Formats: sequence, structure tokens, C-alpha cells
Amino acid sequence: MKKKLKKVLKDFWYGKPHGERRLGDLYIGNTGLYKHREWRGVKDTFYYFNKIWLYNYGGILMDIMRFGGPIIAVKGLLRYRWFGQTYLTALHWFDRGLEGMRGEVLRASAWHYRAMTCETIRQFMHMFRADTRLHGGKKNKWYYKTIMHDETVCGSVFYGYRDRMENIAMQLVPYFVTCHVNNHTVLHYIDAVQSIGLPGDPCPMCQAEAGLLVLDDVPDYSPVMITSNEACDASVATSVLHDWFLNKPLISMTQPMRFNDPLVHEYTMNEIKEAWKFIEEQMGEKPDFDVYVEYTEKYNELTKFEHEKWDVAANTPYYPINGVAQALYRIYYSQVGYREIWAKTDAKVKKILNKCVEQKINTFPMTRHRVLAWSCAPLYFSNWCTWAYNCWGLNVIMNMDSLMFDIVLRTDNEEDALFDLARYHEMAPMRRMAVGGHEHIFEIWENLERFNCDMVMMYDQLQCKGMQGIVGLFEDEFRERNIHAIWMPHALPDKRTVSRAEIRSIINDYMFTVMREEPLDPSLLDFDDIMSW
Amino acid sequence: MKFKKTLLKILGALALTYVGLFLVFFFDLDGKALFYFVEPMLDKHYSKLKRRDMLKQPYGMEDFPEYSYTEENRDIE
Repeated sequence: MKKKLKKVLKDFWYGKPHGERRLGDLYIGNTGLYKHREWRGVKDTFYYFNKIWLYNYGGILMDIMRFGGPIIAVKGLLRYRWFGQTYLTALHWFDRGLEGMRGEVLRASAWHYRAMTCETIRQFMHMFRADTRLHGGKKNKWYYKTIMHDETVCGSVFYGYRDRMENIAMQLVPYFVTCHVNNHTVLHYIDAVQSIGLPGDPCPMCQAEAGLLVLDDVPDYSPVMITSNEACDASVATSVLHDWFLNKPLISMTQPMRFNDPLVHEYTMNEIKEAWKFIEEQMGEKPDFDVYVEYTEKYNELTKFEHEKWDVAANTPYYPINGVAQALYRIYYSQVGYREIWAKTDAKVKKILNKCVEQKINTFPMTRHRVLAWSCAPLYFSNWCTWAYNCWGLNVIMNMDSLMFDIVLRTDNEEDALFDLARYHEMAPMRRMAVGGHEHIFEIWENLERFNCDMVMMYDQLQCKGMQGIVGLFEDEFRERNIHAIWMPHALPDKRTVSRAEIRSIINDYMFTVMREEPLDPSLLDFDDIMSW
Repeated sequence: MKFKKTLLKILGALALTYVGLFLVFFFDLDGKALFYFVEPMLDKHYSKLKRRDMLKQPYGMEDFPEYSYTEENRDIE
């Protein structure tokens, strides 16, 4: 009896140890809601309540006030489905990604989520501020000073305008981020584009991006549009739909299919210059090299810290960022380019990282396998890494998308700067590896060694024709090299094709039958979360 | 004395608010409210919104003649 009481008190104070948590018992039916949020011990529960839940609800309100005020936010909420239906549920996105996390991992990962939330608010508030639809058709000063571009055109292309103008990607916040936060929203856009006759098998990312326009759900916040052929031919087709539905001056800033060939650098440099010329003709502004240098140098600091983080992740057990926070934060900031929030976040995370290294804190003590995640991930289940660690002790150390844009840009003269900017632009997500030629996607082998991983989670995007063509080669190589690899089928944003429960069951089967291992938390093996955000 | 009483009242109200918010947090009441009430209501609202039929918009290839992406127009080396 005394022992039992001692144990209850210990669990209350410190939280239950990993093997006893039974996190799956907290869910209500298929909703993904909690009967109650997890008790993580007194210290971490109150950290979560004060510094994550309260802080972020407060932070969201403050950010809305800071970036334009509540009136324009409410107008946007009533007009755009992707905003109202998605972003109100942001704190549950935190919950899913941070489930089971404790101590320094909880803190560092949450700061990454906070940064992404802040930047998302900045972007949609800017869109609303400039949006003619929310201003009775009037084109205000914000409208004329904003460049609209495709989400696959990286923000660094526009550093030279940052002192006078803003650049906002058209689909990043209305589509890409929504899939992670609340994946119900995106289904409307996929269905919309199929309802006008598009077959169901092209890349669902491009389908959803085009569906936003079919449903007339894109803010009209800029006089121009800069599109791209990145990542694939489906994106080329999407550009045609942009041209039709946006009905504004548009240029396609194309990227080569390969990136490490001197001839393609010249081509990409010319494409970038062409886009700048287009902006000059349409908006009367030229890029300023000094401003470009200022932002690029600030951005380079982020890249240098990223390398530091990778070094710790690769060579020690002290890395305090979980798989989903690492992946989403890295892809978000490298795509958007330098913003102050990234620098502030990195400063906070650096302190935590240093503490973990100095005090030798084993941040993921239940790690059984160090996993490298490769190819493009399911957007509706980006938090699978959190589940996999809690259930099986699979610790995702690195993922393919984090390795994109991996270059410190030169700023010493205009020629070198443009050369490196072109190289950077060529290393965009998917072009760098997934759809950029098989020798690049096979960088997996050197990264397995570099990050000391013993297992691969191989994403299998069922509607990506580029990646489908290379499955057999991977199979052969995995067998030849004796590497444990789990194929994870998915359809990027569309959870109806392969559900999260199906993904979990594939991993469970592999862990039981091939690895002959038992789960750390059996309550997480099989549960229905089809209606979950 | 009056100041002390007011201060106690304010502190009491703050403490109650804090406890109330903790209950909302711990029992995921924010999630439940959003899932069962707010999201279905907003979903209905967005489904009812009148939208332009984008297919009726003509695809004007010559709408913006000032800029055309042709070899002649490329003055870069």
C-alpha cells in the first residue's frame, strides 16, 4: 500500500516513465481529441500550460494585433476557409507534435512551433492587409508593394527588395501549412479541382494549390505573380491554371531539372535576372545589392547554426529537437528566407542545445533505432515521428527535406552572389533530390553514415511519378547494403488515400515481424484518428 | 484596509481565472469546443459563401501585352 502510494506520488511529481504512459488511452473515439491532456509531471505539465498553451494563445492574439489588428483578421476569417477552419486549431498541432515529450526536448521543439506560428500569422495578415477582396475592391499601398510568388520560389530571390517591398508565397499559408495544422481544409480544394475534370492521379499538392483558385479562395494581394516549374510537370500545369484564374501579369521562373552542372547555373542565373526584370517592368522596382547582402548575411547565420545542430544530432545523443519540429522548421525558414523570428528562435534553441551538450543530457533516452527519413513526407501525418518514438523508440534524427538549400551564400561581389543564389534556388525541396535525378536521391547512403542512422523510413508518395520510377532501385540497394527500411505509402496532403492508421499499421508490422521487437507503449499500436485534425 | 480588500479580490479573481484556464487546458475543452461547435459552424458558413465561378473567366492570353516572355524580349546575355 505504502509502495503504491509512493509510486502514485512519484508519477504525479515526475510524470509516468516512458513504458507506463499509455498515451493512446487519452484519445476520444476517432477525433484525436483528448479525454484530458497528458500529465507530464508537475514541472513539464505547468511548463506546457504556461509557456506553450497560454503563451501561444496569447502570442497569437498579440501577433494579430501587431500585424494588422483584429478587424482585418475577422474579415479574413469570414472570407477564407483555409484561415478560419485551420488556424483556430493551431494549439492542437502543437499537442500532436509534442506528445510524450519532456524536458529540454519539449522546450526546444515548442520554440520551433512558436516561430512557425508567428511567421504564418505575419504572412496571412499581410495578405489580408493588401487584399482587394477585403477592401471593397480597392488596391491599397500594401497591394502595390507586395510580390506574389509560388511557394516553391524561395524567398531569398527577393532579398534585394526587402527594404521597400514584401514578398508572400501564394500557397504556403493557404495550403501547405494547413495540411499539418488541420488537414480537413485541404480536402475541399482537392475535390474542387477534380470537380472541374482533373483526374485524381496527379500530385495532390498541385491539385490542392489549383483547387484554391477554383474555389476563388486566394487573396488578391499583389499586381503580379511569379510561378515556377518546381517540383515537377504537375507544377507546370498548375502555373497555367494560375495564369488563367489569377488573370494578372505572370512570369514562370523555371528551374533546371538537374542542379550540379555548370551549364544549368548560367540558365538559372538568367531566369532570376528575368524575374527581376519582370518586377521592374511591372512594379517599377529594382533589387538593391546592398540590401540583398544584408539579408543574405543574416540568413547565413541561420545556416551556420543549422550545421551546428546537425553536428550534435549526428554525433551525440544530446540533440533536443524532435523529428517533426526539426523537419517543419527547417523547411519553413529555408523556403521563406530570413525573418527576424528565425534568428530569435535560434538564439533560444542555441541556449538549450548548449545546455544539453554541456550537461550531457540524453534527450531521447528510449531510442532503439536512429532513423533517417527520406523522400517527401505525408503532410497530414508529419507528427508520425512523435508517434514512432513514443510507441517504438524510433528516433528520427534527420530527414531529406532538411538537407535542401544547404549552402552558405557568398556576398563579396554581385557575380558570385548571383551564382550562389542560383545554386541555392536549384537546391529547392524535391528538385535537390526527389525529382532532381537518381544520383541525388541516392545521397541517402552518405547521409545514413553521416547521421549515424541504422534505419530508413522511406516515404512513398503514391502519386509522385518521379519517385515511383525509382522504387525498384532502392529495394535492390537496401537489400545489397543490408539496411532496415520501411516503406511508408501516403498521398501528401490527402489522408483519404492512405490513412494515418494504415501508416501506423505498416510500421507496426515491420517492427513485430522483421525487427522482432515489442512496443514501448502498446496503447499507441492501433487506434482510429480518421477525424483528427 | 479597503485597498487590501480590493487587492485580495483582484488576486482571488486572477487565481480563479488561472485555475479555470488550467481546467480548460487539462480537459482539452478548447479542442472540444473547436471540434464540436466552431469548426462545423464555420464549415457551414464557408459552404454557403457565394463565390465566383472561375470557369467563366476567359483565359486572356493577350491581356498583358507590356511583357511577353520571348527570346526578343530577353536582353540578358
